[in-house]
Amino acid sequence: MGYLVVAYAFAVVALGGYLAWSLMQLRDLTRKKS
Amino acid sequence: MTRYLGAAGGAVALMLAAAAMIFFFAPTDALQGPVQKIFYVHVAAAIAAFASFATVLVGSVLYLWRGSLRADRLARAGALVGLVFTTVTLVMGMLWARPIWGTYWTWDARLTSTLVLWIIYAGYLLVRRLAAPGRQAARFAAVVGIFGFIDVPIVYFSVDWWRTQHPGPVIATDALPPEMLSTFLFTMACTLVLAGVLIAIRYRIETVMDQQPVGSVVASPAPPTRTRFASPTSPQSGEVN
Repeated sequence: MGYLVVAYAFAVVALGGYLAWSLMQLRDLTRKKS
Repeated sequence: MTRYLGAAGGAVALMLAAAAMIFFFAPTDALQGPVQKIFYVHVAAAIAAFASFATVLVGSVLYLWRGSLRADRLARAGALVGLVFTTVTLVMGMLWARPIWGTYWTWDARLTSTLVLWIIYAGYLLVRRLAAPGRQAARFAAVVGIFGFIDVPIVYFSVDWWRTQHPGPVIATDALPPEMLSTFLFTMACTLVLAGVLIAIRYRIETVMDQQPVGSVVASPAPPTRTRFASPTSPQSGEVN
């Protein structure tokens, strides 16, 4: 059960973190552009 | 920006629905127990990685054929997203292997070829980061993007071509009960939507970055006027396709 929790926690952090980082990067670039 | 936020919200909602199916609808495996539920996202992430690397292939071929900067941006976007999904595949696979095989890693054909895939596209992104921006780097990266894709069918067929510890295909062989199969297919569809949204956001980031003067991302006292794809003869060619 512990491995299942760690595996899904990693997937959430990796995919969710990448999505959040991409959105923040896009927001910063869009602000800088305008 | 709003439509990207909306798309991201939609993709997150779909992934939450997939998680609900995995944990509350799909039955627990009689032999492996709850840890078998790693399967759903592990395999879906691998398929999303293959789809992202196919995007790199298409973008690279189009760039070499037509010289389109849009195609090059698509390739760049696909490579980073594919690398993220390959990382998820590898780590989740290792965490599944530990309780089932008794080890996190074995130099099995499927695992090794997947690690090679990760190294190829990490190398692709490293080339793009270290090489001087411009057509030369894009051409070189496109060649890597095309030849790198050769490893994708090797990863897929490795369980047929070599004797491996990794299990063979379970979808095509009808090895899953209907509840597990429907959960897997739904998770795979949601993961592919997420991959598409991530590639679209990254594509937009690459577009905005291409339009910015070289060096403007890092604070510079005297911003140069050349864009990332400018040549000495066409100083503002960043958007020329």
